Amino acid sequence: MEKLIRVVVANQPRLMRELVLATISEQPDIEIVGEVQDEADIRRVVEEKKPDFLIIALDEPGERPRLCDSLLCQFPDMKILALAPERNSSVFYWASLDIHSNRVEASEEGILDALRGKAQFPRRYR
Amino acid sequence: MSPQTTVFLLAGNRLLREALSRILKTKSDISVAGTAPYSPQAIQQIAESNCQILLLDSVTSAASDFQFVRRVIEVVPGLKVIMIGMDENEEAFLSAVRAGVFGYVLKDASATDVVAAVRAVAQDEAVCPPRLCLSLFKLVCSDSTALPTLRIRYKLGLTRRQQQLVPLIAQGLTNKEIAMRLNLSEQTVKNHIHRMLQRVGADDRLAVVEMVREQGVFV
Repeated sequence: MEKLIRVVVANQPRLMRELVLATISEQPDIEIVGEVQDEADIRRVVEEKKPDFLIIALDEPGERPRLCDSLLCQFPDMKILALAPERNSSVFYWASLDIHSNRVEASEEGILDALRGKAQFPRRYR
Repeated sequence: MSPQTTVFLLAGNRLLREALSRILKTKSDISVAGTAPYSPQAIQQIAESNCQILLLDSVTSAASDFQFVRRVIEVVPGLKVIMIGMDENEEAFLSAVRAGVFGYVLKDASATDVVAAVRAVAQDEAVCPPRLCLSLFKLVCSDSTALPTLRIRYKLGLTRRQQQLVPLIAQGLTNKEIAMRLNLSEQTVKNHIHRMLQRVGADDRLAVVEMVREQGVFV
């Protein structure tokens, strides 16, 4: 049996978090291993659940979320998908010697493709 | 079987449009007449969809200072607008109410809350968070203290807002207290009072109250 993709959903606000949960909870190859309502609990839940992906909120456009660097340093195998609820964008972060990022289409398909590693990355930037 | 409520979802975020419309479609009493991001053609799309309720995200409404809401209600008579993903901000809430919305749903609401708001508004109810509802009560209350407009405007040249300030000044309220009553900033109240003193040529705020009383208005 193929290994499920383990995801912790921690993005804000609540409505967007619920919509993300609704999108990925029906996927047979993706397992939601945690939901975080308070940003302060993210590190604890990630440590506990060791997900493949963490979905969080993108605070400011063009800026890496505050938590990204320290989380990716501590958990280099994890990838982070940051969603901007008020803008039509999301960014995918991962660590490989350094932290890299790429934009992902902010749609159900875009997010599912990113989680499945099928996302098309048109450009790479730090 | 009760008729379905038809909803149009206008939101900039594609994920929100896709996922929320999918959730709404699972409800037997709600049908989604269309979804779209904001564009110059949005009003036409909404009108052509024959929807009863428009779900509108905060970005679209805030970007146009609620002009979009006024315009869409004007063009599509009978349309009921529910704002979603909103901040708990009194000024924005009151602007939304003035623009004609029926529902104001905060960004920390759940998808279930959005569905409940659609059902409530479909049944001719209004939806707003209790804390913001209080600001509406305060606003209506402060409006009721307004003076007989025409006479005071004619005699002293006071604007409607300046007239609202007079009985509050007469009660001995501070600028801060007046600001809270009228949902204004303290600086705005200060500016209104300053302009009012200039307008009537009074030396201090209590002199304005006396001048209004001299016009035969009890404050």
